[in-house]
Amino acid sequence: MLILAFDTATDVATSALVDGGEVLGERASRAATLLEDVDALLRQAGTQTRDVDALAVGIGPGSFTGVRIGLSTARGLALALGIPVAGVSTLDALEAGAPDALPVIDARRHEVFVPGRVLAPADVDVDRGRLCVGSGAVRYRDLLAAKGADIPPDTDERHIPRARFHAALARDFGPAEQVEPLYLRVPDADKTHS
Amino acid sequence: MARPRARQTLLILGLETSCDETAAAVITRSGEIRANIVSSQAELHAKYGGVVPEVASRRHLELVTPVIGEALAGADAQLDDVELVAVTTGPGLIGALLVGVAAAKAIAWARRLPLAPVDHLHGHVASLYLEPDPLEPPFLCLLASGGHTLLLDVRERGSRPRTLGTTIDDAAGEAFDKGARLLGLGYPGGAAIDRLAREGDPQAFDFPVARVPGVDFSFSGVKTALLYAVRTLAADELERRRADLAASYQRAIVRALVVRTREAAEQIGAEKIAVVGGVAANSELRAALGDATLAPLALCTDNAAMIASAARFVEPVPYPGYLGLDAYASTA
Ligand SMILES: [Zn+2]
Repeated sequence: MLILAFDTATDVATSALVDGGEVLGERASRAATLLEDVDALLRQAGTQTRDVDALAVGIGPGSFTGVRIGLSTARGLALALGIPVAGVSTLDALEAGAPDALPVIDARRHEVFVPGRVLAPADVDVDRGRLCVGSGAVRYRDLLAAKGADIPPDTDERHIPRARFHAALARDFGPAEQVEPLYLRVPDADKTHS
Repeated sequence: MARPRARQTLLILGLETSCDETAAAVITRSGEIRANIVSSQAELHAKYGGVVPEVASRRHLELVTPVIGEALAGADAQLDDVELVAVTTGPGLIGALLVGVAAAKAIAWARRLPLAPVDHLHGHVASLYLEPDPLEPPFLCLLASGGHTLLLDVRERGSRPRTLGTTIDDAAGEAFDKGARLLGLGYPGGAAIDRLAREGDPQAFDFPVARVPGVDFSFSGVKTALLYAVRTLAADELERRRADLAASYQRAIVRALVVRTREAAEQIGAEKIAVVGGVAANSELRAALGDATLAPLALCTDNAAMIASAARFVEPVPYPGYLGLDAYASTA
């Protein structure tokens, strides 16, 4: 099965083309140029858009706009190609790339996303020597390191949710509209109205 | 197995997500509307009294592909029949725009179709170029909506026209929304004020609209005047005179729009005047500019047929030139 996978939830947009577990190509850029990467991946692999069997897309958490760019792209592709989609948590993809690590994604406004929640970096629970990866781990390196966290150098690829892991983790392919974003935070305006 | 189909006229698929309407449309090259689907979020935003960008963007994502599917079905068309994808790239709410741009790029890429990036304001003007009564430039165009109040010198169909005047503070539609809130009416306010104004006396209150230089507009003063009037009245009195307030307020805004539109038409020697945008649905404005070409009601508020229409007059970007295309919040 040829899977096109991508994730635009964080500042580094990733994409990968994976055929039956074999990674044919992998790229990274920004959300705005995601389709340039995807186009290049297919060209390099000598495949056509109609050869793609399914999509695996990162559903966040991360930048709300970034998450939506990925999901809207997936929905447009699914509609145009008639293929199913599976959503994969961006945190899960990070964890798959760094087994036993705690994935920490920058949530802006001095908060971070960790599995299941959004909280202040100071409130992240880390044991001494625990590996922490992700944009949040990079941004709050000093604070987390002071708690004893082990954080790879900024350029380490384990900080990036590489799309090969989305392809590997993808399960339950189905209609694109059923793949929902993982925001983990309500819109500002709703805080005073609900 | 696909059923055999007669060869169709090639179609343009339009997409619009710049504010709070998620819209898709299918039109022909010649400007005939085959489907025009608008899923309004007005109810969703009503409790906030205005559009909340993050709420709007989330809703766009939920609606964008269902709306496209509905438009194709309504046109009895398939993507195979589409030769061009058109999408609003700005100006508007950036997060909202990006939902439409991402979906449009994906569809165009998957089908190796060209993509036409459309300026939202050019789209409003292009609502006038649709069948059955397309308007031929040159003309003066008043574009009045919740986001814009512009007087445009339209010389040709191909691009966003030159701006002669604009609002220096609130947009006309915004003035209606804010007025409606002061009067305890719902959102969006334009339709609510229009309805109530029919029962009121437009001369009951004197709400002067500030005269600003040139052919620009200012609506913040009239809003303040309404605020004072509302504050001055006792609760029961306010209730009794709500229709008079609405009628007088509407009269002030419409008069300002009409006076400036006529001045601008004179300034450029325009023989034709056209009105587009959500405020063009206002019944008093429609009556006051009876000699003008008024966009059909369904095409006044944001829609995708107007975006697809504008795409007929811009240079489409062939594959793969649009793959890195981005949205823009403002043209400034
Ligand atoms: Zn508009």
